[in-house]
This record gives sequence, structure tokens and C-alpha cells, in this order.
Amino acid sequence: METLKSLFYILIFPGLLFSICFGLILSGIDRKMVARMQRRIGPPIMQPFYDILKLAGKENLIPRVAAKKTFILAPLIGLISVITISLFIPFYGIYFFSGQFGDIIVILYLLTIPAVALIIGGAASGSPYASIGISREMVTMLSYEVPLVIIVLAVGAKAGIAISGNVTFSLKVIEDYQKLYGVNLANLATLPAALAFLFVIPAEVGTVPFDVAEAETEICEGPLVEYSGFYLGIYKLTQAVKMFIMGNLFVSLFLGGINFGNTILNVLFNILLIILVIVVSVSFVRSVVGRIRIEQTLKFFWTIPTVLAVISLILAYI
Amino acid sequence: MNYVSSLPIIAIITPFIGAFLIGAISSNKKLLPAMKGIAIVSSLVSLVSLLFLTKPILLEGKVATYWLGNWMPQEQMAIGIGLEVDSFGLFTGLIITFSSFLSSIYSVTYMKEDNALDKYYTLFLLLLGSMIGFVLTGDLFNMYVMLEIMTFAAISLTAFRNNIYKSLEAGFKYIVIGSLGSTLILLGTVLIYAQTATLNMAQISALIHNNYTPVTILALAFMMAGYGVKAFLVPCHTWPPDAHMSAPSSVSMLLSGVMSKTGIYGFVRLLYMIFFSVGMAKMELLIILWGTLTMIVGASMAIIQTDFKRLLAFSSVSQIGYIIVAFGVGLSSKSSIGVLGTLGGLYHMINHASFKCLLFMCAGAVLHATGTTDITKLGGLSKKMPYTTILFLIAAFSISGLPPFNGFVSKWMIYQATYEAGYAPVTIIALIVSVFTLAYMMKLAQSVFFGELPKKLEEVKEVPLTMSITMGVFALACLVEGLFPKIISKYLLEPAAYSIYNLHNYIDVMFTKGFAEKMFKNKIPIPNMTYEMAGYWRPEAWFVLFIVILIGFIIGVGISLNFVKKNNIDTTCNFGDKYGVFTGGEKEEFAPIAGGDLFWGLRHNLKGYFGFLEKAHSGVVNDYVTWVISCTAVLSIYLFAVL
Repeated sequence: METLKSLFYILIFPGLLFSICFGLILSGIDRKMVARMQRRIGPPIMQPFYDILKLAGKENLIPRVAAKKTFILAPLIGLISVITISLFIPFYGIYFFSGQFGDIIVILYLLTIPAVALIIGGAASGSPYASIGISREMVTMLSYEVPLVIIVLAVGAKAGIAISGNVTFSLKVIEDYQKLYGVNLANLATLPAALAFLFVIPAEVGTVPFDVAEAETEICEGPLVEYSGFYLGIYKLTQAVKMFIMGNLFVSLFLGGINFGNTILNVLFNILLIILVIVVSVSFVRSVVGRIRIEQTLKFFWTIPTVLAVISLILAYI
Repeated sequence: MNYVSSLPIIAIITPFIGAFLIGAISSNKKLLPAMKGIAIVSSLVSLVSLLFLTKPILLEGKVATYWLGNWMPQEQMAIGIGLEVDSFGLFTGLIITFSSFLSSIYSVTYMKEDNALDKYYTLFLLLLGSMIGFVLTGDLFNMYVMLEIMTFAAISLTAFRNNIYKSLEAGFKYIVIGSLGSTLILLGTVLIYAQTATLNMAQISALIHNNYTPVTILALAFMMAGYGVKAFLVPCHTWPPDAHMSAPSSVSMLLSGVMSKTGIYGFVRLLYMIFFSVGMAKMELLIILWGTLTMIVGASMAIIQTDFKRLLAFSSVSQIGYIIVAFGVGLSSKSSIGVLGTLGGLYHMINHASFKCLLFMCAGAVLHATGTTDITKLGGLSKKMPYTTILFLIAAFSISGLPPFNGFVSKWMIYQATYEAGYAPVTIIALIVSVFTLAYMMKLAQSVFFGELPKKLEEVKEVPLTMSITMGVFALACLVEGLFPKIISKYLLEPAAYSIYNLHNYIDVMFTKGFAEKMFKNKIPIPNMTYEMAGYWRPEAWFVLFIVILIGFIIGVGISLNFVKKNNIDTTCNFGDKYGVFTGGEKEEFAPIAGGDLFWGLRHNLKGYFGFLEKAHSGVVNDYVTWVISCTAVLSIYLFAVL
């Protein structure tokens, strides 16, 4: 029974099937919202599904100079690792494997694997555009990682000091803290961190204005320039799942601890919140601003979100 | 708890005997295979004799002693030289002998093209013997002697390829800065001897326990600076980039991966034993700040390098910073956090040895195959050297701490320890430096192994089997250490950490039972330690999850592709590689982007900082010596102010 339950978690909810489907729906909602905000009709919400299916049916081209095995394996590893993260982030009151398998630092690090997979895959393609792309991807990662770690540490400090007297890295403790003291978003000490996190989400997911690494108009999608067919589809899928992961991470860090006493209701509410977070942080921003340059990305993340996060960290200790 | 054994002395003396044997037969060039044999066999004997010691020392917690010439202590005064092997010494010794044994096998093929191999193997064995002697001895002056042999063997090996100008320059820098470090250590030893009239470490630590006089404080400052040079802490980190770059890779892996550990060993012995400073917040702060500085400067310098081995050398500097920070937290008065720090530091020691040796071996393989380590001239080697590429990627992921590789576990323990000890800025810096590490490793991957293959390198071949096997062993070590932290922790780290804190036993074993208690008047508490306190990260479980999802995904894709196939679209057999990359109209050979072109966004924003660092590392030995001297001065002032 335990094994069956674990398998259900791993393969269906919130693992493989759910995270892929929900990620794709999220990205569909995002596209629809952006279109509506720009007074277009936009694609149907199911459009990402059709895109992936279409890509899966296309021919796979591998350039002559590419390192073939790395080129093929990199997208797969990125996707699978990002799906494993979904098991470490609790839904309201449901802890899949989070209690024993991973804490926030682990999640932070697992989140770097898809980016690294993108970099390695791009590098393996041997294209000069991919070289520029991976260099930008790396610098983007350096930019958003600074506020991200401070945010996580600030929330951990706030929750841990209140609950057990010492800092914590456990998402469970953070959720318990929110059960007792109300959601973190409404908390003055962690509000700056929440705002900073909203800035981090688009960069982590790789959407406008922080999609310098994949700038289609300048460097032809950077690391993805040589990818086609099924493997390109996997990258798109990874991006979609990452959207779900980041949304869910925001919900459990800043909006956790809400309980209706009914599991299904809780899960549905959580899903609703994830959609809301993604619409606010990705779609709104995406529809009104243009892409910024790479050194502007770095400058932006090392100033505003970092300062916000540091304020939170300081407030957590007072 | 005492365990008298002659195995330690066998482990030390075999390499020395081997070195002299090679020296004796060196006139006959026909005996070269015999010399190689002697080198391998001597290092194997050292390794095996230390392996025999694991059962009594690591598992049963005994401490092995051996008095040279049977000069036992008289009336509780040590007269002769005593070897004393506790778990920590054995732990470091195992790292040393294991890496050296593999390096000796690697050398056989790697050094085939060089001449004067008799001198190479002599120096190699001297280096090995002195490193083992350094960690197994219980005598302060003997430590200095071993350090001196080690330094001079290393200098000669650095300048071994003396037809290259760079090697001589590196050797010169090393000889100046290295001797300065040794001199500082000697001065410290002399001052301590003048105070205590003994050179036995156990006795010294009993005598000057919590009993600082101005002379001992000065000695502490000198010795810290000296070991700082050996473990290349900023600002004494200026010799390794040159030395590691120009030494043959089989030696630079030892210099960087293993010899730096002897510096750390010295540091730990100094701080945890001779000058017992556990619980001293000021000392803790100093060490943590020093380590953090080392971490930042090493990583920032590494990111702007354009030479494979030079980059690796700076990355070593940065990783040593992590270890020092961890041991700094180990001094914390809150024992549970302190132990977490110590465990993390020990773990990072063994991890650093495995991935840094592997990285230098990969650099050596690239040098062996192509004749250069300049990353602006390399590229696209993954097609020619697939095996080396995989091993390089494993090492690169390990050093940048991607789960589930080994670097992650140790770094994660260090983050937890620093954060729980209340050093949040240090945790943040450590986390960000880790991303920097990833950045420069990706730069190497892109510029050396991926990207476009230059025309010159089209004839390149994969390295011979003996080299790749030794590299594979290290890669395996990286994976095992990453996936089974519980086992590593239980059998290696916990005994070593226990022995670091168990000062009483160390002293009692050398003398009589109860000696330490009489000297200290109160017992030093030894904290409990397990990996469990580190928290929640079970790499093996994550790995299982990963595999299950992968299988599920492949099955799902298989089913859906079948569904797609009904529409007569063939997706599976189109792996043809007839297409060139898209270059926007440029000719392919003019298009590659690698090396210095990467990370423009970062360098543009921080050009002041990087410019300052580049200017500071001027390459002038006089400046570097000034840095070491000022470091000593700052340390002395700080220590006099706080102690």
C-alpha cells in the first residue's frame, strides 16, 4: 500500500503526470492572459499541449559538430530533475516526501539542474549562438540566485526563530509557522522577500523581460538554436513545469498554512493560488515590458530584489 | 586505547626508501621500468599499511603510537620523536596515499614523453613520504622537517619541465613564498619550544592549554600565517596558480588536491589541539572571515582565467575557503553546530581531494592529447575524447555542488552549520560562490569540451587506458561520496571528528592515563555527532525518485509516440548528422565563441572589482611577499588584541 501510494505520488500527483499537465495549462493560461491584456484573442488554453504534440512528431535534427549523446540526454535530465522537485514542495497539508527527503537548500540546488541542463545541451550543440546564450543564461542565473538565496534564508530565519528558536531550512516548519501566525505575505517582515520572489519567478522561468538567454530576435533562442522536434519539446515542457514549481514554491513560502479541513478543497485552492501567482508575476510583467539587456538584468537583480530580500533578512532577526 | 604498531613508520619510510633506491639505480637508464615499479609499489605499500590501521583506529577508536628508536618519554617528558596516529591523522593519510597511488599509476603514461624520469620518481616519492610523515607524526619539529621536504620536492616538481620558461618562473615564486611560509612555521615552532622545552605535540598542548603568554600568541600568529601559505589562504594564495599551472598534471593534482589538505591538517592541529580554541568566539570569527575572503577571491579570480589549470588552481583556493569556514564554525561554543561544521569540513576535504584530482587529471589528459591548456585555443574535444568529457562533467558538477554529486552534501552541511551558528552573510556568500563555481566550470566545459573543434585538433585521440582508469576511480569516488553520505559519515567522518575534539585521549595515549586531566583540571566535553543532525537530504532516495520518474516518462513517451506514429510520421530513426550549425551566414571556422568571450554581462558590471583583482595579482614576487608579511602582521595584531 505504501509503495502504491508512493508510486501514485511519483507518477500521477503531484509527480510526472500532474506537473506536466498543470505546467502546460499554466503556460496556456499565461499566453491567453497576455493576449487578452494586449487586446488579442490569443491561442486556446490547450495550445501548449498541441505545440508539444506537434514538436514530438517532427524530425529530430542533430548538427554535425554536436556532441550527440550529451545533446540528447541534457534535456531529459533537466525535465526529470525539475519534476522530482514537485515531490519536495508540500501542497496544503500534504507532505509528499518533503519531510524526509529535501529542504529548501536542496530545492534551490535542484532548481539549478534544469538551467545547467540547458547550458550543457546548448554547449553540446556547438553553435556560436548557443555559446552566447549559455553565457547569458549563466549570468542570469548568477543574478537571480543572489536574491533567491537571501529570500529563502530570510523566510527560514523568521519561521525557525519563532517556532524552534533557531533558523530552519524545512518547508514543513515554515508552513507550521504560517498556520500559527498567518500567511507570510501578510507579515510585514517577510513582505519584501515575497515581492523580491515575484521578481525572481520570471527570471527563473525565463520569460520577458529576463529572457536574454533565449532572445529569439537577437540570438535565435540561444542554447535552443539547434534543437528541434522532440528535444525542443522537452525543453518547452521543462519551462512549463518550472513555472508550476516556482508558483508552488511561492505559495508554500508565503501563502502556506491555509486549511479548509478538506484535502480536495485545499489542493484546489492551492492550484488557484499558483495560477494567480504566475499571472501576477509572469503574465502582467510580460505583457507590459520589453526585454532588457544582460548587464541590466544583473544590475537589476543585484539591486532592487536583493535589497528587498536583505531588508527581510534583517527584519527576521529583529 | 593505546595501540602500539609499526605500521605508521612503514607507511612513512617506504616511499623514502623507494626514493633513495631510485636515486641509487638512476645511472642505468635501462632500469626505467624498475623505477616506475618502485614508485607504484612504494605508494601501494604506504596505502596498504594505512588501510591495515583503519580497523583499530577508525572503527575501534584506538590511537596508534610509535616512538622512534624506542625513546619512550621519561618522567612525563617526551624526549624522542613519537608518531601518533589518531583517526583524523589517518583520515588525512588515507586521502594522501590513495590519491598518490593513483597519481603514480597515472604518471607512468602521462610522463612517458619527458626525460629525467628518475629524478621525477625520486621527487614524487619524497613528496609522498613527507606528506604521510607530516600527518602521522606527533612531534612539532618533525612536522616542520616533513613540511620542508614536502615544499622542496614540490618546488622541484613544479619546475620539472624546465625547458618552459613559465615553469622556472613558477618554481621561483614558489620557492620564495613557500620558504617564507616554512620560515614562519619554524619561527613559531622555535618560540613554542622556548616556552615549553618540549616538541611533543601532546605535551605542548597539555602545557599551554588555556595558558597564553605573549610569546605563544606570537607563535600562534606566525604558525597560522605559515600554514596559511601551505593551504593557500588569501592573501598567501599567490603561488598555487603558477605552480599548479606549470607542474605536470600528475603532480599538480597532488599539490592542489592533497598537499593543500596538509595545510588544513596543520591548521586544525594548531587550533583544536596545540592552542585549544574551541569555544573562543573571537578566534571563530577570525577563521570564518579568513575563509570567506579566500572563498570570494578564489572564485572571482577563477572566473576571469583563460588557462585550464590556472583556473583550477584558483578554484582550489576558493574550495579551501569552504573547508576553512567549516572548521571555523567547528570552533563554535554551541557544540552541536560546531560538530556539524567540523563534519562538513572533513567531508569537503575528502570531496575536494576526489574532484580536484579528477579535474587536474582531465586537464592533464587534455594537455597530453592536444599539447595545450589554453582554453582559447581548445574546443569541441567531446567528439574526440568522450570518456574524458564525461569524467570532466562529473567532476564539474561535483565541485559546483549539484545534487546528487558529492560536493552538494558537504557544501550543504557547511551552509547549515554557518547559518545555524548565526553567520547568515557567510551562508549567502557561500551559496553565491557556489554558483560562481558552476559558472567557471561551465566556461571550461564550453570552451574545452564543447563548442567548435579547431582544425588543428582534428587528429586528437582519447588518452590511453591506464590514464582513463585512474580517472574513472576518482569519478566513482565522487559518485559514491555523493550518494551514500551516511556510510561515509559513519565510518570516516565521525571517528575523525571525534578524534579532533578528543584532546584528552590524544594526550593520555602519549603519556599515562589521567595525565591530561591532571594538567587541565577539568574535562573537555566531547559532543555527540551523527550525520542525522544535518537534516533532510537523502541522495539515494532522490536518485530512486529520479529513476522512477525517468522510467515513467520513457514509458509515457513510448505510448504517446506510438499514438503519433499512426499518422505516419517517423520520429525515431532520424539521427542523421548531415547538418551544420546555424551561424547566421558566417563561415563556421570564424564563428566559435569561447574562453574570454563568455560572461561579458558579469564582467561589464563588475569591471572595477575584477580590474582591481587583476591589477593586484601583478605577478611580482615582491608584492606577494609583502602580502604574506602583512597578513602575519594583521594576524599578530588581531590575536594580541583579542587573546
